[in-house]
Amino acid sequence: MRLFFSGLRKLVRRPATWVTLGLLIGLLALIIIAVGATANERTNATREAAAKTLVTFPGAYDRILQFITGLGGLFALLYGAAIAGSEWSWGTLKSAVARGESRVRYMMISYVAVAVMIACGILITFAVGVVAGIIGAHLANVSTSGLGDSATLTDLPQRLLKGWVAVVEEGALGFTIATLARSQLAGIGVGIAFYFGEGFASLVLPDIVKYLPFSVANASLATGTSTVGMFSGGSSTLPADQAQVLVIVWLVGALVVAALFSDRAEIAG
Amino acid sequence: MIGADGLALATRGLRKSYGPRRALDGLDLSVPAGVVYGFLGPNGAGKTTTLRVLTGLVHPDGGTVEILGKPFHRGDRRRLFEVGALVESPTFYPYLSARANLRELAASGARVPSRRIEELLDVVGLCERANDRVQEYSMGMKQRLGIAAALLSDPKLLLLDEPANGLDPAGIVAMRDTLRALASQGKTVVVSSHLLGEIQVMADTVGIIASGKLVREGPLKELLATQGVVKVRVQPDRVDAAIATLAPEFPAGRLTETDRDEGWLSVRIEPNRAEVISQKLAGAGIYVSGLESGTDLEMLFLELTGGQAATGEGSFVGLADSDAGGATAGKGTVA
Repeated sequence: MRLFFSGLRKLVRRPATWVTLGLLIGLLALIIIAVGATANERTNATREAAAKTLVTFPGAYDRILQFITGLGGLFALLYGAAIAGSEWSWGTLKSAVARGESRVRYMMISYVAVAVMIACGILITFAVGVVAGIIGAHLANVSTSGLGDSATLTDLPQRLLKGWVAVVEEGALGFTIATLARSQLAGIGVGIAFYFGEGFASLVLPDIVKYLPFSVANASLATGTSTVGMFSGGSSTLPADQAQVLVIVWLVGALVVAALFSDRAEIAG
Repeated sequence: MIGADGLALATRGLRKSYGPRRALDGLDLSVPAGVVYGFLGPNGAGKTTTLRVLTGLVHPDGGTVEILGKPFHRGDRRRLFEVGALVESPTFYPYLSARANLRELAASGARVPSRRIEELLDVVGLCERANDRVQEYSMGMKQRLGIAAALLSDPKLLLLDEPANGLDPAGIVAMRDTLRALASQGKTVVVSSHLLGEIQVMADTVGIIASGKLVREGPLKELLATQGVVKVRVQPDRVDAAIATLAPEFPAGRLTETDRDEGWLSVRIEPNRAEVISQKLAGAGIYVSGLESGTDLEMLFLELTGGQAATGEGSFVGLADSDAGGATAGKGTVA
């Protein structure tokens, strides 16, 4: 447990944690409030309705969560890469191993701490998003009566949990890529390339890409009415329950690869 | 705990290659318990690779390692609970303070009492800056913190790679005193260093490696006694005559012209027989203007390692001597 709490303390004090969270919260709040503030200025009725949908509860809960799992997934990828990569780049893994610490235990517990931080980040961002949604609704003169919709609120914990698992899976990919690259920068660079590469590939190879990590993460959160973002995949998107299984497969697979590599790697420099 | 043979650390036939390059080629080290062991070798000789193997950072291709009397294999990471190490440069989280870095490092490996961190910050003289972020530290301060990190578990065996790097003179003296004190408490300290003068005043035993093999090992005093060097200075224009006079007495490899311009020769001879050289030269009408009798680890090191960096490391060529063919021009074995 001391290694786990040490991992948490390191993450809490790490500037990258707060920069990542700040960016995600800032972008979410900015978009929602800006949309709410300008909703009534749209000349096109369809666009006005679309803008107001974003700040109309209870549907707004879903959209906030989709934003968090969409852009938050990319941020989690970068965050996971930064955490794993820095252990190699800064040589701190070397110091722990030289003290007799298990490489696999060290890396896996580091990622468990990352997953806990992601959970905190999702909850904080979601809370800020709801507040921003209320502000946006007031600015757009939209009723907030849907805030207390019992069916949505009952379903919310489960949806947040699924969202967390999907984001943790994307974070694990960044973590593993940076472990294989043994570098923060390389991990982040390759992670971004992988993220957008999969997005673009979904346009030409949708039947294959729908099984890839970012696509399954996105599909696992589908409500049956919509999926969003560059991984929506159209008719090739997997059913949510099948996607949820694949999310777990990708998550476990990524961490197993990171563990095996860490165990066998020669640590120099 | 030490081995029945009194060794705190032993390697037998240790081999390690990086691709086609052989870093360790059957290394046999025998480090007695309770000493400061100077681990010497030219750049690329395999010192750091050895320390990496001993700390489980890299896996050897062959050979055995015994740490504190017990075999150390790939799965024996708990053997390292009794070992402290500073391998290559000290490594820390730059955004954390020295105190926080030691605390988080203590969360890995062997358990460490929290008061130990304060003790070590005091030992390495970082108490006043202990709450500053490490990214604001100078190289010497990081090195001090690295030494504190190596001492965290109060190890029985301490492995230090160039611990004097970046330290100021006062820091070097303090480090030397600390390491000597640890050895006097029965702990074993292995110090890899290029600072031969530092090793000469600090180490009880030395091991010299070249091209991944041990070329000499033993108590420093014994090695220097058998490898004693006397430096003789004559008039520069009498260097050739002095060489001709001494050559019959001192066979190949024992007489070296070290600085023709200044008239210095080096003669391998027991230091307490230095007068033999003076008598010989005086008998030939060559008068000695300087005589430095004693021992010289540098001479021993250069002789055993050939004064060369390992293959692929290249030589450091002095600009002043470049026309004459490199820094070693003007030096050479003449008898």
